[in-house]
Amino acid sequence: MIKFIEAIFQNLSTWGLPVLVLIVGVIEFALGLYKKHWNRNEIILDIVCYTVPKIVVRPFVAYFGLKFLPYALPGLREAFSWIPFWWGFLIIAVFDDLTQYWYHRLHHEIPFLWRFHRTHHSAPYMGMAMASRQNVIYTIFFSQTYLTTTLVYLGLGYPALFVKGIKSLITTAAHSSIPWDKPFYKIKWLNPIAWVLERLISTPATHHAHHAASNDDGIGHYKGNFGNMFFVWDIIFGTGIITRKYPAAYGLKYYQGEEWYAQFLWPILKSKKEGSELSANGPMVSDEVILKELPKEDSDLKESTAPSLNLT
Amino acid sequence: MNIEPAIANRIVKNVLVSLLIYALPIVLMFLSFYLSGERPWKKNSNSAVNSQNEKTIQP
Repeated sequence: MIKFIEAIFQNLSTWGLPVLVLIVGVIEFALGLYKKHWNRNEIILDIVCYTVPKIVVRPFVAYFGLKFLPYALPGLREAFSWIPFWWGFLIIAVFDDLTQYWYHRLHHEIPFLWRFHRTHHSAPYMGMAMASRQNVIYTIFFSQTYLTTTLVYLGLGYPALFVKGIKSLITTAAHSSIPWDKPFYKIKWLNPIAWVLERLISTPATHHAHHAASNDDGIGHYKGNFGNMFFVWDIIFGTGIITRKYPAAYGLKYYQGEEWYAQFLWPILKSKKEGSELSANGPMVSDEVILKELPKEDSDLKESTAPSLNLT
Repeated sequence: MNIEPAIANRIVKNVLVSLLIYALPIVLMFLSFYLSGERPWKKNSNSAVNSQNEKTIQP
């Protein structure tokens, strides 16, 4: 039985997850869950973000693990392989996911970093198509990848296999346009499980709120709900909101449908769209510019006028 | 465009709490070893020495 479970996670970490994402993505597309938002520019961007990191970033991480670490930490290979499985599992889960929480949160809270993460939020839809959608610089510097690779080098490779598998399933499911968590809210005897679940891990409801185009409906929370595998970080740090509802619209209210190459390769390639955050002279954070342009007494108005500021 | 002071303060406070959270599983692990009397690192190094001896004994 253990061998069988081990084989599942081994396959998941190689070909399993990409194939699973592809299958669910095709189902979402067939069910019309992307609506009319998936135009040519979005399709190219999503496909490039899904494929290129697998070709470019994976060899980079492999080099880090196989060449750099033996050079930087000689003699420490497997030094902590004595750590019992469940302790190793807990250490990897906390180290990996808390690091990703911070990497993610800082890209939202530090204006300079926002444009490296913007691509993930520009999609006006949720689903497998946009789950891997990231600027290539953001993907290359995924801090938790290097931390976990280091822990694997130090001897925690076996528990890491399971943590990474479970984490990828949770984060992928949280991005899916299939609201798997809905029955937990609707069926009364499942409510206590929902209470624990939505505080412990990312669900479609909490993560979709993070991708909302606006906060004014009380459901969207794009300046919070940063958790990836665990939502408990948002509970601890007060950055989370749980409503058990899904936002009406996703993406950025000031999205201009910037060219796929600019979204993928900014700041190497820039957008030609005037006023775009990704253009040569564009603002660092458009959201902040919109807020500053409005007088203080009109700040309540800013959210209600937001749709008219949509430049798409 | 600079980071708002309130957000910067919150980040600093939360980072300090995070350092404790990072340490927590390691502290709990060693606490469990202390309470149970387990010394898994010794078992590991013994088995490494044994396997090294086996290798040297074999012709």
